[in-house]
Amino acid sequence: MKYRISVDTGGTFTDVVVQDDRGKVVIGKSLTTPDRIFHGMRGAMQMAAGELGVSVETLLGEAGLLIYGTTHSTNAIVQGKVAKTAFLTTRGFPDILVTREGGKFGPHDFSYDFPRPYIARRHTFEVDERISSEGEVVTGLDEAAARKLAKRLVSDGFEAAAVCFLWSIANPLHELRMGEILAEEAPGIAVSLSHVLVPIVREYRRASTTAIDASIKPLMQNHLREMQRDLVAAGFAGDILVSTSAGGCTHVADLVEKPVHTVKSGPAMAPVAGRAFSRMEDLGDDVIICDTGGTTFDVGLVREGELKYTRETWLGGQWMGHLTAISSVDVRSIGAGGGSIAWIDNGGLLRVGPMSAGSVPGPACYGKGGDKATVTDAALVLGYIDPAYFLGGRMKLDVDAAKKAVGTLATELGISLERAAFAIINIANEHMINAIQDITVAEGFDPCESTLVAGGGAAGINIVPIARELGVRTIILPKTASALSASGMQFSDIIFEESGNCVTTTGRFDYEGVRNTLDEIDTRLDKASEQLEIAAGGNIRREYTVEARYLTQVWELDAALPSRRIEGEQDVLGLVDAFHQSHERVFAVRDETAQVECLNWRGRMTVSLGKANWAGEKTAESGSGSSGTRRSYFGDSIDDVPVYRGQDLEIGCTITGPAIIEEPTTTVVVYPGSTARVSANSNYIISL
Amino acid sequence: MNAPTVNPSPSPASEAIDPMLLSIMANRVDGIVREMTSTLLRAARSAVIASARDMSCAIVTGDNELLATAEGLPVHIFGSHLQTISMQQLHDDLAPGDAFLHNDPYMGNTHPADHTILVPVFVDGEHMFTVCAKSHQADTGNSTPTTYAPYARDVYEEGGLIFPCVRVQRDYKMVDDIIRMCRKRIRVPDQWYGDFLAAVGSARVGERRLAEFCRKYGKDKVKAFIRQWIDYSEKRTIQAISKMPAATITHNGAHDPLPGLPDGIPINCKITIDPAEATIEIDLRDNIDCLDNGFNVCEACAINNSIAGVMNCLDPDIPRCAGIFRRVRVLLRDGAVIGRTSFPHSASIATTNVGDRLVNLTQSALAKLGDGYGLAEGGVGMGAGWAVVSGRDFRRDNEVYINQLFVGGNGGPASPSADGWLTYGIPVAAGLIYRDSVELVEVKHPIQMKSVQIHPGTCAPGKFRGAPGAELVYGPKKDTMTVAIPCDGQVFPPKGVNGGHDSPGARTFKIDLDGNEERLPGVAQVDLAPGEWLRGIDNSGGGYGNPLDRDPQRVLYDVAERWETLERARDIYGVVLTPSENDLGYAIDLTATTQRRNALRTAA
Repeated sequence: MKYRISVDTGGTFTDVVVQDDRGKVVIGKSLTTPDRIFHGMRGAMQMAAGELGVSVETLLGEAGLLIYGTTHSTNAIVQGKVAKTAFLTTRGFPDILVTREGGKFGPHDFSYDFPRPYIARRHTFEVDERISSEGEVVTGLDEAAARKLAKRLVSDGFEAAAVCFLWSIANPLHELRMGEILAEEAPGIAVSLSHVLVPIVREYRRASTTAIDASIKPLMQNHLREMQRDLVAAGFAGDILVSTSAGGCTHVADLVEKPVHTVKSGPAMAPVAGRAFSRMEDLGDDVIICDTGGTTFDVGLVREGELKYTRETWLGGQWMGHLTAISSVDVRSIGAGGGSIAWIDNGGLLRVGPMSAGSVPGPACYGKGGDKATVTDAALVLGYIDPAYFLGGRMKLDVDAAKKAVGTLATELGISLERAAFAIINIANEHMINAIQDITVAEGFDPCESTLVAGGGAAGINIVPIARELGVRTIILPKTASALSASGMQFSDIIFEESGNCVTTTGRFDYEGVRNTLDEIDTRLDKASEQLEIAAGGNIRREYTVEARYLTQVWELDAALPSRRIEGEQDVLGLVDAFHQSHERVFAVRDETAQVECLNWRGRMTVSLGKANWAGEKTAESGSGSSGTRRSYFGDSIDDVPVYRGQDLEIGCTITGPAIIEEPTTTVVVYPGSTARVSANSNYIISL
Repeated sequence: MNAPTVNPSPSPASEAIDPMLLSIMANRVDGIVREMTSTLLRAARSAVIASARDMSCAIVTGDNELLATAEGLPVHIFGSHLQTISMQQLHDDLAPGDAFLHNDPYMGNTHPADHTILVPVFVDGEHMFTVCAKSHQADTGNSTPTTYAPYARDVYEEGGLIFPCVRVQRDYKMVDDIIRMCRKRIRVPDQWYGDFLAAVGSARVGERRLAEFCRKYGKDKVKAFIRQWIDYSEKRTIQAISKMPAATITHNGAHDPLPGLPDGIPINCKITIDPAEATIEIDLRDNIDCLDNGFNVCEACAINNSIAGVMNCLDPDIPRCAGIFRRVRVLLRDGAVIGRTSFPHSASIATTNVGDRLVNLTQSALAKLGDGYGLAEGGVGMGAGWAVVSGRDFRRDNEVYINQLFVGGNGGPASPSADGWLTYGIPVAAGLIYRDSVELVEVKHPIQMKSVQIHPGTCAPGKFRGAPGAELVYGPKKDTMTVAIPCDGQVFPPKGVNGGHDSPGARTFKIDLDGNEERLPGVAQVDLAPGEWLRGIDNSGGGYGNPLDRDPQRVLYDVAERWETLERARDIYGVVLTPSENDLGYAIDLTATTQRRNALRTAA
């Protein structure tokens, strides 16, 4: 296994990261080819292979492992380009996907329509059946009607069906039977059953996840199998794994069955990368990860070496979009990036976003017809970006257009051009700071104690002031910052997660029920690990958590089990203590008198794929001299600031701000008062 | 007229902070309110708070100006400063570590069921802010098992404990005397205590963050920020009002009839818009005296709900803080049914029923300015889906349960540019509150839900239509369940404006063991025996504008999605649809539609 390849197929670019057996790491980038994903992948591999001095055939032939990540499912969901999907629900409850769970932004804003459901009402079918919250059959499944419905789905041209009956998690009888009937009468239709996919209470969350899963099943099955075939045809003979929303990776066959686990799997890999880079640089296990693209800013968190997970991931925005409730790496996205538009409201206040110029027309400086000032234009005006070296010189930027756009705002505000540009950057920073605080401070974590890992093409422009505002002292800007997710896959593990329901309270603990639930989870994890050839000899770790709450609370918190099993009073006390601590950290109070109610039990198995052997290499023969200077502004005056090319910098050299370091796919702005050092692994370590 | 003709009094230039910092600091304080809100929501025990989000947080300045509210409910937040004023008047020994419980409607709270925790925030010995965490309790110890006592003659008959801004923490420690009183007097004391802890935690989180905020920027900058931020909000309000036509509008409405009040509760307002001075004055003094029931709308609710109605029609981006109060003024009368409630009249149900009507009254009054202004009336009435249910739970050793449900939903009002919001709820909540999960309702209470759904053809038509109300059916699983329903909008349904239609109206029925339906009065309390069911139909929001002007594509979509029927499309909207093989199942017959619309216009 000479090479390990990771591929991140985004909406615009396909990123490839290749690591050879001596730890040499190279990046390839190419435009994504949606019609045949392998073409773009091959293009990016060609570039990477070139850097390694081999042919793409050799690269593929000698690679032992390829990890694939894709935004294919996420994009299909957001754009509504999914299979024609039917929603099958319990009679009397057809509007679960329509009404969602309520909630709205803008208390006084009546200017916009209610969002449409993920599956139309006209594609919703009520089934005669009902299970009670105690798991009893209240109304038996009307099999004749169910059979008729299955036939109708075929004749109406449905390609997928999502089945979510009330309380199927308490008694799956009817969902299972409906699944059998569909298999008999409509074998061509892809089916997802809610209790299998996501066994949680709260019907909307379960239904929405199931609907999303079913709707992308046909296309993801095709997509993944085609990718697999094309790779094999191109001479690849190693293992293919696909990255998941849980920040791990798994076999194609698993994801073909539960494709919802590919949703947002790309962003989920950025925290995996952040954790690895922080460890590599010996900068601790508490990490904030920021990935700045042209239109979105993603934030993730690693705490004590653990990824942060959520069971509430919105696609298309909270309350307005659609929810998946599978356990996913918690990555918060906000609409902020290089393309965010600056404007002045009628109260005279400068605002940035949420509107974005996107890539077309793009910022004014792209010269593609955009005339609105964006964050990228502001960075250009401030001298942070070299107009002749954007994307490594592949795209020339129009400084005059940027000045004109920013100048319009400056005139209206009655301030200088540079001051206005500086304000735009700072206000954009503020949105990003809030997003970071939302995932740290609001959850009881202090960002001061963390290392910040920044990725994405636009990261280096403003990460220093953002970190400073948060009290962060050290930033890592990896050499592969522009391909953070693909880098993450190089470090990812194989992750399996299984869960089970057993509701019990710590005052009257159901030892047997919990033991059975955990045994069942272990049995399923055992089965999963047996099927994994690559897991043999690997380092396998299992962790158990429970979603718990004070009795009669409504929302759960995760508490780690103190031991593999809860066998006696001491174990229960340990569990209670873990919960109190978690509650006090998050909610500032604890209730020593209350019992703890435990609901969902989870087991996560992590199979390590072996440590990535990511070694740095000397990139320059000598020196750390600057390639020139540029007029730049950092809030006080316009000064000549030294500019460095990344390839000219030697390992270990330190650059003191103000300075600008240019890489082909990103720019690092070293603000006054900060220094950047090139680490032994060729990453930039910025100290504040 | 686009340019502002009036400017707020400018802050002294020497202290001015630049717009960039202003924006940054405003984001930061809003972030603090959001963090408080999420703490309260996620740590709470009762579904009314944790699931439905019937709660709000706010930050008020040390000199009692409303500063930040984030996504707080309109009904809760506008009058938060009234409560902090009373805290200062009553306590001359405020100190760090204090927390107060305030639910007194005669002293600035909204209604007794809303327990507000107030925490003064000190920085270097100076009282800089007060943080407010308000939440609707599942129970407050009323004489009957509901937090809404419609027929309580006075506050005594209402029966819940009133806390006129009482200290519950000193030096960050509980004042156990008060906690014990509550535990003795409130049903399901553990549930109350959990919610109380969540609110205290929320306020403490706010306190911690504001102290950090002041440390970071220094007190002088923070004070400059407060002044300028409130000025900015005023400036935005001026911008909005100066674009409106000058007018004085008198408007009236009524709550549904009640026993002894055959014409309902009439409500009146006079709104004067003065674009030259950039002010709006809402005069509520011409209203009847307080009633001997729980429907009186106290000072906080009168202010909150009338201002909310106006803000619903202005630029939604105006920051909700004290700057608005400088331009939108509310005139109230002592002892009026909407006004300063005279003790001991009850304001038990002040936040919703007549309060909801007040939101509708002001926003629909502004529609009289013509197309493009105001809103239709939103769906009113806390029907079957919003009932307070109570009884004993056979699954938990016959423990007592009590809680308000949030499974129903009135539709929202149509606006000049959009259809009504489906999960609107009631006007005072305006779509912000969450819906209960049916499964969570069933697991927390011994209830069997039979159906929750929307019926075609129940939206109030208009150029933009109201959102439909839901229909729901539920009953007890085993033992008798008491259901208190404080509904409205069954006799006087929400109205459409500027040619938009009215809602068909809400209804409640009791279904007996033989399946016979008995129509219940709007405000009702019934015991449901096993096998009996309650069926409720919620209101649609009113329509805005003439249905014949509705975009036929919208009508087509509504029919395809079963919001509307083919018949109503033809008869009310004048849109003729023909069956089609396309995904929607229908296509628009343009020629027939034009003819039909012309004919309907002529007939009108």
